[in-house]
Amino acid sequence: MRVGNLPNAIVLPILTVAFLGAVFLSMACGQIDIPTENILATFCRSVGLPFLSEVPVTPEQETVLLHIRLPRTLVGLMVGAGLGTSGVVMQGIFSNPLADPGVIGVSSGAAVGAVAAIAFGFSETSLFALPISALCGALAAVILTVFLAMRHGKIPMMTLLLAGVVVGMMLGAVTAGILTVLSEQIIHQYLFWTIGGLDYRRWDHVIMGVGPILGGIAVMLLMARHLNVLVLGDVEARAVGMPVAKYRLGLLAVASLVTATGVCISGNIGFVGLVVPHMMRLIVGPDHRRLLPSSLLAGGTFLVFCDAVGRVIAYPTEVRVGIMTAFIGTPYFLWLLRRSRNTMQ
Amino acid sequence: MNDVVLAVEGLSAGYQKNINILADVSFAVRQGEMVGLIGPNGAGKSTLLKTLRGLLEPLSGRVEIEGSETSNLSSREFACEVAYLQQDIEISFGYSAREIVMTGRYPHLHWWEKESDEDIRIADACMAYTGVQDLAERPVHMMSGGQRQRVLLAKVLAQQTPLLFLDEPATGLDIFYQEEIFRFCRELCDRGKTVLMVVHEISLASKFCSRLMLVGGGRIISDGPPSMVMTSENLSHCYGVPVRVVQNPMTGSVEVFTEPPPDAGRRALLLDTILGRGKA
Repeated sequence: MRVGNLPNAIVLPILTVAFLGAVFLSMACGQIDIPTENILATFCRSVGLPFLSEVPVTPEQETVLLHIRLPRTLVGLMVGAGLGTSGVVMQGIFSNPLADPGVIGVSSGAAVGAVAAIAFGFSETSLFALPISALCGALAAVILTVFLAMRHGKIPMMTLLLAGVVVGMMLGAVTAGILTVLSEQIIHQYLFWTIGGLDYRRWDHVIMGVGPILGGIAVMLLMARHLNVLVLGDVEARAVGMPVAKYRLGLLAVASLVTATGVCISGNIGFVGLVVPHMMRLIVGPDHRRLLPSSLLAGGTFLVFCDAVGRVIAYPTEVRVGIMTAFIGTPYFLWLLRRSRNTMQ
Repeated sequence: MNDVVLAVEGLSAGYQKNINILADVSFAVRQGEMVGLIGPNGAGKSTLLKTLRGLLEPLSGRVEIEGSETSNLSSREFACEVAYLQQDIEISFGYSAREIVMTGRYPHLHWWEKESDEDIRIADACMAYTGVQDLAERPVHMMSGGQRQRVLLAKVLAQQTPLLFLDEPATGLDIFYQEEIFRFCRELCDRGKTVLMVVHEISLASKFCSRLMLVGGGRIISDGPPSMVMTSENLSHCYGVPVRVVQNPMTGSVEVFTEPPPDAGRRALLLDTILGRGKA
């Protein structure tokens, strides 16, 4: 029988438990460990529920929970969910399981924007300067890629993929060029940005990302049935009456916006957008109406989990989440791949 | 007559401007006809079918389906008139037969709608008709050629269109499935569907199709009932090699075979090299 056919009744509870577990872990672990009842008490108190009022919560704990860990966890959930769903959509648009959200130059464009902001010093002027500069870079790169691939109003997918690779390389060179003339300290700052991280994410970052990411995810979820058709390729989709170019360009724009926003508020986090869709496809199958929601949940869970583990694994140093995703995801993914190959034969 | 469902006028088609694969083709197809497009490889049969379906922009001329010009139809309206089965589809990502057949319902739904029970019932009926209902949950990429082709046929049937365009639906299948595909089409045409199919199985085509079109050299060389089109003369001219057409008195069907081309003797000289025997 086919792999990846687990019924919702099994998958949903597991995903939900994993999701809550990751959130809890992310709230509890770190430089100070906070006991479960204190977390719950703080939560009840801040939303006005009359439970657990007898549990003593120190002001320090409350600050850590509400102003450090909660926004950090929320940013992680948003970015992870965004990367998971955009990954599914990009793989669907390109009918290619190896596409990832950065494939059309988003990440490299964001990097140029970020390095420019750091180099010219306006990353110091405001908390928003670096993310906004990175967002502009990312969107400019996507527009450039699409423009390069477009001929006679049509966008051949293979050309788009190659244009994405070329633009990525070119922008990589631009980034490297700028870096060579910068001081070591600034380069370190940039390096820190390229390995994505969730540390020092505040409520401002949550507010910055919530609109584009949640809006984009909603649009992608609405388009799930159409993705099932689009993924079968150009001819097949047109044969059943889909205006392919319109849907493709629209979905490409939404997925790029979500990815770009994610990259801007948390740096470049690889792996989630490529591997979470894969994992979920192996577990729930290729139907986007199940694949998208489960990748959304799994993406958020995975990123927050990696972040929490990264905080405690090498205490007192923090391992950035961009490193953790690769370290935790690779073995699991390989195991899944091997297992699915065995069952297929 | 007003039962013409497909009218083609002065159609030129091809992949590049100024390079016509087909030039100035005109014909009309009536409801219930089962038309086989035959001809040598590269004659432009698939190009014709793709252009009629609107997947290729016609270089000139017009195509009318049930009285309306196809260039005025929206993608969805077009897909409600014609279902198209392409050659060599690769179905990746492990989609199951049911999921593929369900995509045939796509043009009947608005973008925000989801499939209703009625759509599921139609898809199930189509799968049962082509005999793949037991494979409904199996991934298509793990099926044999015959099973896959019947799944894809169920998909185009689920589209419930008056016209059906099939591009080499029987190629690569074993003898039973080949005939089975033709039998399905025959039955559907008897009930009022109109089928245009590109085929290489000329004998089967002349047995099942109500009309054949012989395509060659960028035009339609011969068009009419099989008995009229299937002559040694027509086929030899079109394929460019001597072709013999013989009526088999036992089965009543037509047998077609070619004779070795004139340069076959010259090729024999190369055999020693190819087989690695001519060292001395």
